[in-house]
Amino acid sequence: MGVVIETTAVAVPTSPASHGARRLADTAARHCLHEAGRDPATVDMLVNAGVYRERGLGEPALAALIQEDLEANPTPREDGHGTFSFDIDNGACGFLTGVDVLRGFLLSGAIEVGMLVASDSPPGPLQTRGFPFAESGAAAVLLRDPHEDGFTALRFQTFPEYAALLEGVWEWRAHRRVRPGDPGGSNRLAVLERPGFRGRALDCAHDTTARFLADNGVSAGEVDLLIATPEAGFADPLGERLGIDENVVVHVGERLIRAHTAAPIAAMDVARRTGKWAEAHTILFVSAGSGITVAQALYRR
Amino acid sequence: MTTEPATSVATARFESIGVHLPATRVPTSALMASTRHRTGIELERLTGIHEHRVAAEGEDSYTLAVSAARDCLSRSQYGATELDMVIVTSISKYHGGMRQRLEPPLSLFVKEAIGATNANSFDLSNACAGMLTGVFVLNDFIRRGAIRRGLVVSGESISQLGRNAAKQVRSVLSRQLASLTLGDAGAAVIVDRAEPGDGGIDVAAFTTLAEHSRLCLAYPSRVGPGATMYTQARAIHRVAIDDSPGLVQEALGPSGLHLDDIDWFIPHQTSARAIRSGLKMLEERIGVVPRHTVVNVEEYGNTSSTTHFLALHRYLQEGKFAPGDRVLLLALASGLEIGVVVLTMDRLVNLSWAS
Repeated sequence: MGVVIETTAVAVPTSPASHGARRLADTAARHCLHEAGRDPATVDMLVNAGVYRERGLGEPALAALIQEDLEANPTPREDGHGTFSFDIDNGACGFLTGVDVLRGFLLSGAIEVGMLVASDSPPGPLQTRGFPFAESGAAAVLLRDPHEDGFTALRFQTFPEYAALLEGVWEWRAHRRVRPGDPGGSNRLAVLERPGFRGRALDCAHDTTARFLADNGVSAGEVDLLIATPEAGFADPLGERLGIDENVVVHVGERLIRAHTAAPIAAMDVARRTGKWAEAHTILFVSAGSGITVAQALYRR
Repeated sequence: MTTEPATSVATARFESIGVHLPATRVPTSALMASTRHRTGIELERLTGIHEHRVAAEGEDSYTLAVSAARDCLSRSQYGATELDMVIVTSISKYHGGMRQRLEPPLSLFVKEAIGATNANSFDLSNACAGMLTGVFVLNDFIRRGAIRRGLVVSGESISQLGRNAAKQVRSVLSRQLASLTLGDAGAAVIVDRAEPGDGGIDVAAFTTLAEHSRLCLAYPSRVGPGATMYTQARAIHRVAIDDSPGLVQEALGPSGLHLDDIDWFIPHQTSARAIRSGLKMLEERIGVVPRHTVVNVEEYGNTSSTTHFLALHRYLQEGKFAPGDRVLLLALASGLEIGVVVLTMDRLVNLSWAS
């Protein structure tokens, strides 16, 4: 008995204009459900792991809006069956945190079907001072499976000494010139990835992942698929340092190479569509993000 | 509703609770006197809120959360290094003043400040249901034996929404009216595995009535530092009145409990009037009301995700609960989230609650 991925889907803007995180999550989630032939009403729990969204919505959980858009039990059915939605925020490691939470509710039998969505977009043209990520969204459906092990181990480590290397902060900035009717300033989002982040993330991920593999009795040669995010400047060098065959590192392509919270699902989606996922027996997930936080997971079948 | 199956696995419990209230008190009359427009709104009469607390210079969501976590640890049998999980559930994430921090998550800094070096940490956002959703998540991890204990903590620095609303509210029909009811506070709870025969969490059940997801929306403000919140308060109240009684009954169902088994009812604290009308509807629909209903909104205002734990802490401090008392915590939050947590009082009543 394990918790497995049933389907995945990815959404990217179809025009130069910003689509917004909610719409991208909606699109990915609809594709995901469609591919699985699944009625949205079967989703018992919807977890959103995205960080950046249009207008910087802080309340309610974005997951609730997505639930309504998907028509996933916007009101509980007569038999009492409903959907419970909330957001998890753990930066680039949010997907694996969401897996950890959903896996638990699936294993305990509290839910039968879990959906994880992750998307990011800049809040608006006049509200952003730097946004280094590719606007993107992704969704995955998680289920219990009596025949597969699925996610067998997850681990998270934090390195707060490097917290300043990647920050996303909303802050009120005073205007230099204040005209009549001007509130005197404006709230702006600044996302700053400072020099050295990827190198430090790589160091943190290498040491902890080597220990994670050893603790789980897995050698580098046994890893059939490495889903390491962020991809740029991280995935290939991490695989190399760990001694993992370069051919098992998943690459998502130029359009999604700077995806943020959606990146692990996007990589999984590529692996699924190229057949690599189906062929793999041992899949290693490694995510590194702000904090620095590093997360690992093993997926076995 | 989504609920933990009633099996024979372990029970989780509230092991310790902590709070932190800023020292500065602002009377509702003073806030209403600060409105830019002459509103004629009798907010104190409408809500029953006499005053609320306001974070001072140097206090923010982070410091409120850290102080509450330390207060919680001070009466816990565990040290910070023994925590396996730290979940921060603040809606406001101000750290370093009025800087709303999205990354790294606030939990990283809270965990570091309290020395919970062995804990997994993450933030969870679910509006005013955040802390109870965190409890729901920890309850699942602990019952399965995946972790031994964890901390849910929130620091809400939200009184600035009232200051922003005061610049724009013109009448009682304003969608920013609810922002004038908000107060600052921090709260924390440690959840661990109950000893056999002890009390603990009897029920934890949640659902999202997402057709009402857009009734309350908050964004970074365009008129001042912090946020602005737009609430259709009457519509939310109507949904709560219509749907809560049935959902509470449904949540209690698998446990075999009924509303007349509940000794203390702690609803989300929005306004004294809303709580009274909710109780009236509960009686009309179910024919039963809980023996005691806890209302503390008069002194603190609506402190968002922390309200239930401020109320629990206050009543524990005053020695109101007895071992074996059943307490029902009802979350009602933007989303629209409805959650029910029922716990049987045990060791909490024997702890030292001196402030």
